[in-house]
Order: sequence, then structure tokens, then C-alpha cells
Amino acid sequence: MIEFRDVKKVYPNGTVALDGVSLKINDGEFVFIVGESGAGKTTLTKLLLREEKASSGSIIVRSNRDEETAKKPAVYDLSKISDFKVPHYRREIGVVFQDFRLFPNKTVFENVAFAMQVVGEPTKIIKRRVPAILNIVNLTEKSGSYPSQLSGGEQQRVALARALANNPQIIIADEPTGNIDPKMSLEIMNLLVKIHKRGKTVIVVTHEKDLVDYFQQRVVKIQGGKVISDGVGGMNV
Amino acid sequence: MKRYRLTYFLGQSFKGLWRNGIMTLASITVLMSCLVVMGSFVLLILNIDENLEKLGLLNEIVVFVDDTKTDEEVEEIHKELEKIPNVAEITFISKEQALEEEKEKYKEYSGLYELVEGDNPLRDSFVIKYEDNSAVQPLVDNISRTDGIAKVNNRADLATSIENIKNGISHVLIWFMTILFVVSIFVIINTIKLAVHSRRAEISIMRYIGATNWFVILPFIFEGIFIGIISSVFAFFIQWYIYGYVVTEMAGTLDFLSIITFDSIGHYVALAFLGIGIVTGIIGSTISTRKHLKA
Repeated sequence: MIEFRDVKKVYPNGTVALDGVSLKINDGEFVFIVGESGAGKTTLTKLLLREEKASSGSIIVRSNRDEETAKKPAVYDLSKISDFKVPHYRREIGVVFQDFRLFPNKTVFENVAFAMQVVGEPTKIIKRRVPAILNIVNLTEKSGSYPSQLSGGEQQRVALARALANNPQIIIADEPTGNIDPKMSLEIMNLLVKIHKRGKTVIVVTHEKDLVDYFQQRVVKIQGGKVISDGVGGMNV
Repeated sequence: MKRYRLTYFLGQSFKGLWRNGIMTLASITVLMSCLVVMGSFVLLILNIDENLEKLGLLNEIVVFVDDTKTDEEVEEIHKELEKIPNVAEITFISKEQALEEEKEKYKEYSGLYELVEGDNPLRDSFVIKYEDNSAVQPLVDNISRTDGIAKVNNRADLATSIENIKNGISHVLIWFMTILFVVSIFVIINTIKLAVHSRRAEISIMRYIGATNWFVILPFIFEGIFIGIISSVFAFFIQWYIYGYVVTEMAGTLDFLSIITFDSIGHYVALAFLGIGIVTGIIGSTISTRKHLKA
């Protein structure tokens, strides 16, 4: 569960990026965050990843116990969390970016495995789990390829596999289809829906009207740093 | 059970060192030079100490008698000297004996001594051994006050002069070392800074996937440690060579000096170089990562 309570973010140069945002996303929800450039979507993502701190208000993220990794439930108050705990918080979230951000000198397998190495998973578990994740994103056959040998859509699927590596409860996709063609975009979105159906909370930050309209999910629209609409349907809900 | 593989951190460190080859080389060269300079100074000081100790062990003062004194008067002086506190033993060396000794020492110039045979320019002397090292000055003062003494050759003076030179060298060493270590740390900071810079994209991804600070920092600390180890190994062999060369060169000319062999102190030199190298590497890389890797 994610809850924004009257969150305001003012950057040092005086720009008000978010102005009193209150928002609640329940476990297992699929939510589109939409808005024009400069509306505050990126700031909202940065706050959720604890890249930035809110100027006022609070952001609470509650994670449940994960049976697969035996991880205990936890509550994070992002306005109070110490820098020391931030890495542990980030392991609760799988994140996918528009520019994929893969390691160019690692294979598909290694890119996904690295996310598990970072949290200290034993090699035995990594070797068992990575093929299973690559299977979810239909990349089993590309396991030994390097990112430069893959199409944009395939690279984004690797990024998605990496986001799933540590079995996070929440997946944040920041403009996941921004760098790929429409056919591949649909494929990536279908994968996100598939992941959602496996019980994950999925947040997709986008400004692509067609995709939002096609999938008919909850849409939170931000404009001028404020939530101006929130409901199930297309872009114009 | 969560565990991290050491091979990952070591592998990343080697990659980092290799990727910034020029800076790595610069760091190693500077730190290595610093260690060799420091080692040379310390070895010099150790050798001075060794020789000072030897001088101290002699515990003797040579007293020359005024050459106008008759044999009876010299005998009187001998008795006076025996009364002075802290005197342990007095040996009389007549000017004839002294001339014989000189002739023996410099056989190749024996012809020259024949010229002075009739008119010996040397003086009668007493070699005085004393008991208490710390009370040399009062003893010298007492001897000087004795009537008929022309000159007191005090080895304690020489010891004090050498001690002063040693202290001067130690001061220079401390300043030199401080400057060199600051330079070494500065170069290592820059090397690690470059390594951090070249991996900033990777580091940003690592942060997003939940890498802890130490997971990110550890490879850079290892880089610093490797720079320290490599520098100290090279420094050790260079020091070994330089010391060996200097000792061989000196062996023929300065026989009277007692020189410490490298074999007897080599393991201390190796340990000191390794310790200082590693600590310098860790300090440099820690400062660099703390400054450039804020969460």
C-alpha cells in the first residue's frame, strides 16, 4: 500500500513540482499516472523512489510478507527514513525506466542476476530464479545476448525482468514505452498486466493516451503539481 | 542466507584499476617514491644510531699533555687525573708510542715519518675510560681544569654532533614524509574519483536496485588497497637495490662505520611499507568515495 498525504515538493530554485498531493494506491492495484511534461509525474516517481524528499506532507509505503523470499512485512515513512535504510526500501520496489538502464557489458542473464547479487542472494538461488524470470518476459532464448544485440522492446523486457528479480511487491514503470515502437509498447504493457495479475502493484507513469485508453485501468491525472482527476477508465476519465 | 562474493569486489577493483591505467600508474609511482624516500631516511637514521651506540660503547676521552711538561710532571698529571670522579681506567701513551702506532697505521708513508724521527711532533696522551655515560661533561670540565693538559679530545662531543645531525635529519624526514603522504593521498583520491566517475551510470543503476552504500563503495576501497600493496612491493625491491648499492659503494671507503645489513631489517621494511601503503590507500579511497558517492 502506498499513501501520499498532502505532499508538497518545492525545489531549491523555488519551482513547486507537487502541491498538496494526496493519493492512496492499494496492494495489487494497476494505476496509470498521467499528465503533460512538467506536470509533476517525474517528481512523484522520484519521491516514491526516495531520490528526493518531500518538502512537506508524508509518503507511507507498506509492504506485506513475501512467502517466496520469506521477507518480513515493513512500513516505510519516506519523509523520516534514514539514508542507511533507503537501499533496503528500494528492494521493495522494482523500477523500469524509459532508457532501460541496463549494464551494456553484461549479458541478459547477468543483468538480471546482478540485481540479486546486489542484495546478497546465493548463487544457487540466482541460477534457479533468473531463468524463471526470463521465462515470464519471454527472453529465455536471449539469455546469453548483450543489450546491444537486442531490440528496444527486448531491452525493456530485460529491464522488467531485472525489476522482478527480487520479487518486489511494487513495480514502477517510468515511461516504459517511450523509446520503443507501438507494437513493442503493447507487448510491454501486456507484460505489465501479466505481472499485475500475479499480485503485484503496478504503477505506470506515461503520457501515451492510446495505451491508457486501451487498458482501461485506474488513471490518476496530474496537472500543475496537483491531482486533477482519479478514476477508472481512459485518459479523459 | 544472504552473502556477498569477495570475487565480485576484487574483480570490480581490478577492472577499475585497469580502466584508469594512467592514474593508477601515477598513484603507484607517487606512493612508491614516498615509501622509498621514507625508507632511505629511516635506514640512514638507524645506521647513525648504530654508530652512535658504537661510539658510546668506547666510553673514552683522549687527553693530550702540554709538550713542555717533563716526565715527572706527566707522572703528576697522571695522579691528578686518577683522582677525578667517574674515571675508570687511565692508559698512558707516550709520544714515542704514538709515533710508532702512526707508522704502523700508515706503512706506505713510512718515509715521511723518518723525516720527523728526531723531532717528534706528537704529544704524550692519556686515554681515559669512564663509567657513567650521562656525566661526561663534568668529567671533561674537570680534566680541562687539570694543570698541564693541552687538549681534550672528547668523543662525547662527536656523539652530540652526530646526534644533532640525526635530529636534523629526523625533522626533515617528518616534513618530507608529511608532504609526500599528502601528495600520495591526493593522487589516490583523484584516481578513485576518476574510477567513480567512469562508473557513475552503473552506480546509479545499483542504487535503484537497492545496493547498499558499502556494496557500492567496497570495490573502490579495494582499489586503494591494491594501489598500496603494489606500491609497497615495488618500493621494497627498489629500497633493497638502493641500500645494497650504497653499502657496497661505502664498504671500500668508510671501513670504520658499522653498517646494518638489509637481511637483518628487510622483513621490518617489508611490513612497514605494506602497512603504510595499505593505510594510505584506504585513507585516499575512503575520502574519495565519501566525497563523491553520497546516497
